[in-house]
Amino acid sequence: MNRPSDFRFLSLVARNLKNRPYRNIATIFAIAVIAATFFSSQYLMNGAQQSLDAGISRMGADILVVPEGYAGAGQTIILAGTPTSFFFEDSGFEKISRIPGVAKASPQIYIATLFASCCAAPVQMIAIDPERDFTIGTWLKENPDITLGKDDIIIGSSIIQNVGNDLMFYGHAFHVVGVLEKTGMGVDNAVFTRFEDAYVMAAESGEKAEKKLTIPQGQVSAVLVKVDPGTPPATVASEIMAQVPGTKTILPSGLLNAVSGQLGATTRILSVSSLAVAVVSVPLLGIISMMVAHERRKEVAILRALGATKSFVVQLMLAESFTLAIIGGCIGIGVSVGILVMYNDFIMHTLKIPFIIPSPTVILVQGVSALFLSIVVGGIASLYPVVLITRSEPYETIRGGE
Amino acid sequence: MNSDKVVNGIGALLVLLGVLVALTSWFIFPVCEMHGLYTETKTGTKLPMPCGYTARAETGIGALIVLAGGLLIVRGTRETRQAVGVFSVATGVLVILYPTFLVGMCKLADHPCRQLTLPALEILGIIVIIIGGYLVWKKGVNE
Repeated sequence: MNRPSDFRFLSLVARNLKNRPYRNIATIFAIAVIAATFFSSQYLMNGAQQSLDAGISRMGADILVVPEGYAGAGQTIILAGTPTSFFFEDSGFEKISRIPGVAKASPQIYIATLFASCCAAPVQMIAIDPERDFTIGTWLKENPDITLGKDDIIIGSSIIQNVGNDLMFYGHAFHVVGVLEKTGMGVDNAVFTRFEDAYVMAAESGEKAEKKLTIPQGQVSAVLVKVDPGTPPATVASEIMAQVPGTKTILPSGLLNAVSGQLGATTRILSVSSLAVAVVSVPLLGIISMMVAHERRKEVAILRALGATKSFVVQLMLAESFTLAIIGGCIGIGVSVGILVMYNDFIMHTLKIPFIIPSPTVILVQGVSALFLSIVVGGIASLYPVVLITRSEPYETIRGGE
Repeated sequence: MNSDKVVNGIGALLVLLGVLVALTSWFIFPVCEMHGLYTETKTGTKLPMPCGYTARAETGIGALIVLAGGLLIVRGTRETRQAVGVFSVATGVLVILYPTFLVGMCKLADHPCRQLTLPALEILGIIVIIIGGYLVWKKGVNE
């Protein structure tokens, strides 16, 4: 038989698929579910990872030192921005700077604000020393036209206010001079100000605010540490805890573990569902293909009698399976992207994880791998029917019904 | 399935979608004011947040979609199908535009209207547009 042109071959595939709409819809649905669950778990993990990378890069520190007993609170501030106030004696701060392996150390004061007009809930105010700080310091270097002066604040992307306008905290008016890029982490829900302004705000709060704020003089909430290049942060962290009693250290790897733990249950559910759907679907798809193959034995036999080679028949059946797999995969991935992007805020708040929508390139790579998985599933499901059909003798098959 | 049954089915689906569009913002995925969140003026007057106004607009659009679906069930001629199709596409676009551009929702990501009402309305809008597009396309194909 002459090699058919692509057009005729594809038309034959399309016509064969059109003849069995309900079975094909069931097949497409099963593959769509597999692709959607696989894609969703990849998407969530990547979104959390990218958010964590962006947040840690914004934090700019290798180690966060907090008072013992506040490691959980410190972690929550970084990951979710849940406002908390805590302090420890800053006498330790000087000691931390002198520990071998510490390149830079910068103190911060964490203040949970009261309800503000900008926001539905209190936000985390972080007082810094702009000269020494490297959380906002890097950002300020990237934006040389912005300076953090008296009563100025730099706000996270979730704080609703425009640059140039004022925001009131504890009855003290602050002027917004900059808005940070979205990271999906706690810093989005934070406002940064100078130590001096935080002390003035606290001093005035007795008269101006509904509730008095107390910031103990000479105390800080946390110390951010940058280690010398080549020095393992874990070693320096252990040294800090040994030399400065009453401290606890938080490392980016610890944050990653915390996020993985929080995300673990969800991704496990998705992975198990994905596996369960695949385990159920592959034999199911195989049975459907086998039923179709049995039905089509005569059709295939006639094709063979007309001169179609075995490889042509195999190509035809595989093309049908792959077409269904590609359609199902595209539907599953498309619906997942739509729902995950639209429900981004809901997912982030429900799972309580740092999360940003992965970049288009990452989404594309995940989509292609999910599509590849769909094609593999479709291919595996059609293997047995293909073998069955190619082993049958056309003459016997055609005579079989007589 | 004959053409009349399909058209009636689409009409019933539009009625259902219209009801969902009208009720989503109030009962299914309620906007902020249903959670007791209001904007307070300096005089102490409580006003609905932007999502509250979007919800009111969506109720009206939902009612229009119900009417369009009803019309398709009562009179499923080709002209009606095309008219309802175009109308559904337009209302579907409005279902999406009200919460995103025309009025909008609250700006804060942790508000219920942003987390649930907005995506639900977007999904409903997309479905209404697809159905409207199908009605317009179906007429073209038949001719």
